[in-house]
Amino acid sequence: MALAAMPAAAQLNVFSCEPEYAALVKELAPNAKVFSATTAYQDPHMIQARPSLIAKMRQADLVVCAGADLEIGWLPMLMMKSANAKVRSTEQGLFYAAMQVETLDKLDKVDASMGDVHALGNPHLHFDPQRLLQVAQALTVKLSQLDPEQQANYQAAFMDFSQRWQQAIDRWLTQAKPLQGRKVVGYHSSFRYLYNWLGIEQVADLEPKPGLPPSSSHLATLLAVVEQQAPTAIVLASYQDNRGANWLAERTGLPVVVLPMSVGGNEQSQDLFSLYDSVIALLLDSQS
Amino acid sequence: MKMIKYPAYLAGMTTAIFFSTPLFAQSSMISNPAISGVLEGYYQEGERPLSETEKGFGLGHTELAMSANIDDYFFGKLTTVIEQHDGDIEVGLEEAFIQTLALPAGFSLRAGRFLSDIGYLNNQHTHSDSFVQRPLAYRAFVGGHYFDDGLRINYVAPTDIYWLLGVEAFTGKSLRSEAHVHEGEALPDYKTVGAMTAYSKWGGDIGLSSSWQFGLSYLRNEAGTQMIHEEHAEHEGHEEHEAEIHEAGHDEHSGHSHNAAYTGKNTYIADAVFKWAPEGNYKYQNLTLSAEYFLQQDLFALEHDGHIEQTLSEQNRAWYVSGVYQFLPQWSAGVRYGQADVWQAHGDHLHQQEFKETDVMLAWHHSHFSTVRLQYSYQQGNQYADITDDHIVTLQYVMTLGAHGAHQF
Repeated sequence: MALAAMPAAAQLNVFSCEPEYAALVKELAPNAKVFSATTAYQDPHMIQARPSLIAKMRQADLVVCAGADLEIGWLPMLMMKSANAKVRSTEQGLFYAAMQVETLDKLDKVDASMGDVHALGNPHLHFDPQRLLQVAQALTVKLSQLDPEQQANYQAAFMDFSQRWQQAIDRWLTQAKPLQGRKVVGYHSSFRYLYNWLGIEQVADLEPKPGLPPSSSHLATLLAVVEQQAPTAIVLASYQDNRGANWLAERTGLPVVVLPMSVGGNEQSQDLFSLYDSVIALLLDSQS
Repeated sequence: MKMIKYPAYLAGMTTAIFFSTPLFAQSSMISNPAISGVLEGYYQEGERPLSETEKGFGLGHTELAMSANIDDYFFGKLTTVIEQHDGDIEVGLEEAFIQTLALPAGFSLRAGRFLSDIGYLNNQHTHSDSFVQRPLAYRAFVGGHYFDDGLRINYVAPTDIYWLLGVEAFTGKSLRSEAHVHEGEALPDYKTVGAMTAYSKWGGDIGLSSSWQFGLSYLRNEAGTQMIHEEHAEHEGHEEHEAEIHEAGHDEHSGHSHNAAYTGKNTYIADAVFKWAPEGNYKYQNLTLSAEYFLQQDLFALEHDGHIEQTLSEQNRAWYVSGVYQFLPQWSAGVRYGQADVWQAHGDHLHQQEFKETDVMLAWHHSHFSTVRLQYSYQQGNQYADITDDHIVTLQYVMTLGAHGAHQF
């Protein structure tokens, strides 16, 4: 591949809000200096606009985030405090993944009584491989715009990623065939896109409303739902508390499965490919 | 270059994508004016010194704010505060500022009316506080929080350790010392720029779970020194004036005002904050420890025929330490201790006043938008403060509606 012959250009400094986008940037711009503001063990809705993040954003050439208001509780504060004009506008060094694709569950009307819902749709879109490929494509354009000297390299990296990703999608679909039509109990709509892709149905949510923690009265109502719908597992993301899930598991006998929410969310998930591998393997294990 | 065969759809994509532009120009979070309201109410047993809240039922800071990017160069924010005191409704303008968005090299400029960046708590809105009242230090020296009309220049250094440097210039009107103007006399000749600040903040992470911030601030208050006429200062009368002193003290503290109760020409502040959450995941548990120390100097000067003869060496000091632990997603508890040792002039002599305050609070947060808080405070004062040992209980709610802005660290 042509990647080996990269010129020694100024290193692009990329600030990523979530680890999945840091991983994507590493695929497309292996020479860039990439920082992830959060880990797969941190709820991205609830991040502190802390000094270390202001310092990192101050130095960034590009900020890559999920968008769709996922980071609304902290990203605007980082932008204001970091005083970095380069990353303030999506016309320049700001990139939102959710702006590149059609999101699921967009709402015409949002009311705070509905909980933490996003009018712009569900932002956890990195578990849809086709949407992620669209994001990769748009990110390649963004990287080329900011660093035109390396355009050919970004383009080649994208072609390479795209080819490997497509092959992986075929493999994943084959592997995940037994999961089709399965029902699960979830926590938040964290895996909305994954379920949509693999044909899994989330029949109950541990959260009474998006963003609100599982309450005992709400959990009690789930017992009836479990009996009626017969889901096969309770699925949590790596940053979610397991108390509610354990309570329900004890009373229903359902297994609790903790999926990595992103790269780094378990030992196996070292990049986007192994993240998907691990998530599918964990779901398959829980069904056997 | 080696030829690689791509599937047909990829060949089409490569030519198309490098000319396409994003479908949406701006995100919703920066294009629409964000309008938010804060509703705050309480029931309080007893009175707190230097406080804005009164005994019984009352409303706290009822706020209406609007903010947006004006264009790609400027951000603007307007915050009005509606307060009730002794039955009077007061509408105040707490913020009305513009801030630059596009200055190079980490600089930003803010102009208009805004909260000063000195200390840790001052630039934060009171509705995000963990206790019913600001610490004693803030109530004594800056009227709860210091906002004023002026100009700010901030600089963020391009370092991995957060480093902020800033300077501000203000009118300083709310910080002026008590001027003993007799009838028919003109007000003192105040400087146009009555207050200047300079500060630096540092911050970073320790591992994945902990974060810290440390700050040093200086506030120069041109009209902060209180003049004592020398002819009065010469005789050292004591006990016979006590009744008068107490009355004066009481008036000052219960009358509502955002003015500083104790002033000096030079104020120095050191602040430190430490936050912890398991794996840095703040949703389920987190701990915030904070402390600030205020030192105020050049409080009084002896004046004779309009000339300063001597600046007295008394100093005001106030500090607090606070710890707040969110132990469940919807519950937090906190403890705070604060102390103020301050001087007050009454006619020809100075009295040292001492306040001590211990607060314990428990708060229930149904969502990010609603908080109900129960706070118990134990207050102590020496004979010259207008409080004696006292127990105060406050039940408070703080709720936000509409767009809810991101919180500071």
